[in-house]
Amino acid sequence: MDVGFSMSNSAPGEEPPFELAKKVMQKFVQRQVFAETKDELALVLFGTDRTKNSLQQDDQYQHISVHRHLMMPDFDLLEEIANQIQPENQQADWLDALVVCMDLLQTETKGKKFERLIIAVLTDLCTPASSDNLDIIIGNLKKSGITLQFFLPFPVDEEDEESDSGDRGAPGHPGTGKGLSREQQQGLDTVKHIMLSLDEEDGLEEVYSFRNALEQLYMFKRIERKPMAWPCQLTIGSSLPIRIVGYKASTEEKLKKMWFTVDAQSNQKDDVKKETVYCLDDDNETEVQADDTIQGFRYGSDIVPFSKVDQDQMKYRHDGKCFAVLGFTKQNLVQRHQFMGNQVLKIFAPKDDEHAAVALSALIRALDQLNMAAIVRYAYNKSSNPQVGAAFPCIKQDYECLLYIQLPFTEDLRQFAFPSLENKKLTPSETQLSAMDSLIDSMMLVEEDENGEPKDMLKVHHIPNPAFQRHFQCLHHRAVSPGTPLPPMEAWLKAALERPEVINQRCQAPLNELKKKFPLTEVEKKKTKKTSAQIFGKESEETDAKKAKRDEDDEEYNLADIAEGSVTSVGSVDPARDFCTLIRQKTLPFVCQQLTHRIEQLLSNKNTHYYMKSITCIQAFREQSVKLGNAELYNSYLLSLKRSIPNRGLEVFWDLLVQDRVTLISRDEVEGSTISKQESNQFLVAEEKEEEMASPTAEDTGDMDDLLDMM
Amino acid sequence: MADWNAFFKGDEDDEEPEDGEQSGGDYKITGRDSLVFLVDASKEMFIKGEDGEPSNFDMTMQVVRSVYTSKIISSYRDLIALVFYGTEQSKNPRNSFKHVYVYHDLDEPGAKRVQEVDALRGPKGAQLAAETMGSGETSLGDALWCCANLYSDIKLRLSHKRLMLFTCRDDPHGGDSVKNRQARTKAGDLKETGVVIDLMHLMKPEGFDVSLFFRDIISPPEDESELGLQLSPCEKLDDLQKRVRAKEQKKRAMARLSLCLGNDVKIAVGIFATAVQARRPGAIKLYRETNEQVRSKTRIFHTQTGSLLLPSEIKKAQVYGKKQIVLEKDEVDSLKKFGDPELYLIGFKPMEKLKVHHHIRPSVFIYPEEDEVKGSSCLFSALLKKCVEKNVFVLCRCIARRNYPPRFVALVPQEEQLDQGNVQVTPPGFNVIYLPYADDMRTLDTPQGPCASQTQVDKMKEIVTKLRFKYRSDAFENPVIQQHFRNLEALALDMPAPEETEDLIMPKMDQMDKRLGILADEFRMMVYPDNYNPDAKPAAKRKTDANSGGAEKKPKVEVPEDELRAHVNNGTLGKLTVPVLKEACKQFGVRTTGTKKQDLIDALLAKLGP
Repeated sequence: MDVGFSMSNSAPGEEPPFELAKKVMQKFVQRQVFAETKDELALVLFGTDRTKNSLQQDDQYQHISVHRHLMMPDFDLLEEIANQIQPENQQADWLDALVVCMDLLQTETKGKKFERLIIAVLTDLCTPASSDNLDIIIGNLKKSGITLQFFLPFPVDEEDEESDSGDRGAPGHPGTGKGLSREQQQGLDTVKHIMLSLDEEDGLEEVYSFRNALEQLYMFKRIERKPMAWPCQLTIGSSLPIRIVGYKASTEEKLKKMWFTVDAQSNQKDDVKKETVYCLDDDNETEVQADDTIQGFRYGSDIVPFSKVDQDQMKYRHDGKCFAVLGFTKQNLVQRHQFMGNQVLKIFAPKDDEHAAVALSALIRALDQLNMAAIVRYAYNKSSNPQVGAAFPCIKQDYECLLYIQLPFTEDLRQFAFPSLENKKLTPSETQLSAMDSLIDSMMLVEEDENGEPKDMLKVHHIPNPAFQRHFQCLHHRAVSPGTPLPPMEAWLKAALERPEVINQRCQAPLNELKKKFPLTEVEKKKTKKTSAQIFGKESEETDAKKAKRDEDDEEYNLADIAEGSVTSVGSVDPARDFCTLIRQKTLPFVCQQLTHRIEQLLSNKNTHYYMKSITCIQAFREQSVKLGNAELYNSYLLSLKRSIPNRGLEVFWDLLVQDRVTLISRDEVEGSTISKQESNQFLVAEEKEEEMASPTAEDTGDMDDLLDMM
Repeated sequence: MADWNAFFKGDEDDEEPEDGEQSGGDYKITGRDSLVFLVDASKEMFIKGEDGEPSNFDMTMQVVRSVYTSKIISSYRDLIALVFYGTEQSKNPRNSFKHVYVYHDLDEPGAKRVQEVDALRGPKGAQLAAETMGSGETSLGDALWCCANLYSDIKLRLSHKRLMLFTCRDDPHGGDSVKNRQARTKAGDLKETGVVIDLMHLMKPEGFDVSLFFRDIISPPEDESELGLQLSPCEKLDDLQKRVRAKEQKKRAMARLSLCLGNDVKIAVGIFATAVQARRPGAIKLYRETNEQVRSKTRIFHTQTGSLLLPSEIKKAQVYGKKQIVLEKDEVDSLKKFGDPELYLIGFKPMEKLKVHHHIRPSVFIYPEEDEVKGSSCLFSALLKKCVEKNVFVLCRCIARRNYPPRFVALVPQEEQLDQGNVQVTPPGFNVIYLPYADDMRTLDTPQGPCASQTQVDKMKEIVTKLRFKYRSDAFENPVIQQHFRNLEALALDMPAPEETEDLIMPKMDQMDKRLGILADEFRMMVYPDNYNPDAKPAAKRKTDANSGGAEKKPKVEVPEDELRAHVNNGTLGKLTVPVLKEACKQFGVRTTGTKKQDLIDALLAKLGP
């Protein structure tokens, strides 16, 4: 990057090239850091006051300094770019800087393998460059296979080569308004010369303007994984094998990194330890060593002890890697909504095997012409579970392949019957149908453009996963400006998730029409669910009565009680009452701690009676918290309680809590609560689904990604 | 090793899996489902069909058995009972009902029960039934009353109560109006307590007239159309099985969402999982000495002080670019929040824009929820009709639940289809197809080899045509799960060996070869040269084999310490291969908890890092 004095010149109201160049670099490094590629990066500054490079000699290669040697980019580098790199006062020959970079690449890549070598030059081309050795430089660039990229304050157009640069002030490209100086024009010619001699046709595609580059760098890099080849044989019967290679073509990508827990004070991971202990389901919760446990499985109501050794011996075995055709079927019998799994494989013939390519091509074309698909048995390797799936033909302009997708097993299917919609009461009228008709017409995302070519306005598979973008945005923010709240979502990201504006405008009228034609009324929710008290009938009647009484004379906890001095801690007989009494004498945190401790004790008994008692306690806790206007303690306790439900097997208790509608304290009730009314209500609902998620234990099917990780 | 993993893994599994959306099934929240099979045991049930067809009783027992076993696999916590009526013998809790035989009372199905149902199958089963129960008088009223008692004896909370009545007699009491009335009253009582009564009427020679008696017994169909009554009686096992299957699983919405078309036009839909990958259920830990189940408790504590840490005393962190970035726990959750859960209409696209390879997870199904927003069904129906007519799908942005990042989905219209017996084979609604983001698509370097000639293609067409069959999605059982349950069955019942399972996804080589005949050879001749050996490894591979001499399979891979430290300092550990990293771990006495590359790197960094 050029940090010489001309870089900080700019027309009034415009950002100087230096700042823009710095931003480009920042964004670029950011992307590299979060993408965690193994790419290495060095930073060479020129125009610096100092000189620091391995080629410097006498007055050669002056004012060029290697700021960072070739290594993986990290936050240190980002911080350095942000804080240390300043405009300086010298000028240096950018061709000299290029040579320093080439030298650096040559010496520092020794012994390492790189796929691509790139030098990106950020400069305004204001310094004269001596083009004496230009041919040698070009020759060396070619020889070592270095790709060159230029980032300039102004755009370069191929057609514009001859035109004078005076009227380049095209909108969107400020910084070009003042026209190019003689040096710049000369420099530009040199750039063009180099680029075109490196790549005659598309050489200028690697020359960018700062603005342009920033626009392209605004989002974090999409996750890229190296495709892993899966060599196998496709078999049809016992005597017709075809060699194939499979690649994952699409799969639901996840972030590789997980959150780990650190101590809130020290931020140290090592200060926190998580421990799982096993205990018997008896009164004492007798702890049992992990070594003293064995595995068992449920067979309906029976639990069958089944040792690991036995499991291994008796488990389903197969011959390993396999892609065997079971038969062929009409494509329309394999329905889209029955696709299973979370990936699609593309199956090709191996690169070096022409015969396999011909054989596979015959199969692909035969299937395509007959409109059929192959049903296959697929097994990734010996230790993974076999699947049944479909292989569809796919013929593109420049390649052919099979697309493999997993299909369901009998056990996976749930056949639900739904009431027919062909019902007199529900059937939409003609006017309703035509309202819907015009809505659809107004909201078609695929239209023909001027040339009659269909144009898709919103391609989902071109949108980066917003979750990753947001994740990186926030992490980056926290890393560079710790102590400040997380930033709002970026505008472009929000916009990317919305309707295209033209559609949004076009659909307004039909939508309003639709609104008139279809009366919709939200049904008031009648909570018919019984509360726990009702369910447990007699057993809890007592508590109910007590509760009622307490509600009645809330002021019962008067001075007299306190004067008695009988209550000093939250006991186990009537903890809720003790709590309500104590709260008048002591601080909330202190009493809360006692109460929650008591609740935990009650819960550990796993008995409906104790559950009821706990709920009474929690209700009292809630009531008092609202009264005192302190929602934090209660909410955080309830949240942590909720999280611990699955681990402690307290689902039954949770059910009761849900039925009694013991929610979080919302903002509506206590000012300063961080919970909205809706979140408070959601609190109970959300659990329902999380439960559900937790149930299937992930089975390691062992797949391409795993292998990839091992590479 | 597994325990070791379980011990430490906890650190990383804090992040919720995002793919839980498609799981459905067991809801601990709402209580248990229950199902009572009430089976007619009169003589008519035991009459064998013509040309050796199984009797109605036999057929029923087969279905009952398959429900038992499938419940064990998919939802073992559901309660099932099996009750016979019209028997000679009586057996019920207080023996207060004559001619009602409770074979199994309401309980979770287990191995023993499956065996007992098995015993009633086939000719031997008929004999056993005759010996133990016999056929006698019929009083459906008593039978229903007895069933009502079964329900009321259950102390657990029941969420869904269903009773399936299997019979081939449309006039069980021979016109006895007192008995008929009594049965109707009891049926009414049952329905009032929330029991759904289904009739699985079986074939009899003169046809089954539902209106004669049973119309008043069974629950009205949910859509209030007459559909339910028009069903013709089941003749075949398959039909019966299908009909029972459809009713036996309670359909539950995984979630209820609003489908927002914009400008506050919102309808309510339920999301249903119609296909969920069944997995081998997780293991349960038992105490070695007593085989009793143990509970696990997880706690987070401070390593130095040893005190337990409250949620407010911990934070979450990730490392990027050698920097640890720390967030509050609720900040971590808020990262994923983009808005409230809903399906938001973006626009429409022609069906051909939905690509086969745009698949990232199994789809779900949506159906309107009239009792949330009135008018939903009508609008939904109009949307469905028009989408089918125009051959378009709906593109929506979907936030499936709170704090879930958005995904784009295609709502693909699906019209209702009925089979000849007026049974629904496909329900009306939209299938929700999840669409991939840019990150989910991989860039492949697509090799381009030579293409086949038309004669070669034609030969392959002959092969394809010879091996064609009608694919049915329910035709393949999962051999892994089947084997697992057979093993458990064998262990639970002390059987000498597990029952053989047939691996249905194994290609039937003999049959295929026979069908192909010389076609396979002919095709091979056309595409492969004489000396071609598809089993041969590519040349490059063999060379390395030769070099290593095959004797030393795993050459020792070691990196000098200073080089390794340099890697640590430069953050370039990732450049080393897994075996090298493993060796390095050994070298420095680093204990690793995982075999993944990142685990090894993390472990090394922890030991050697700054």
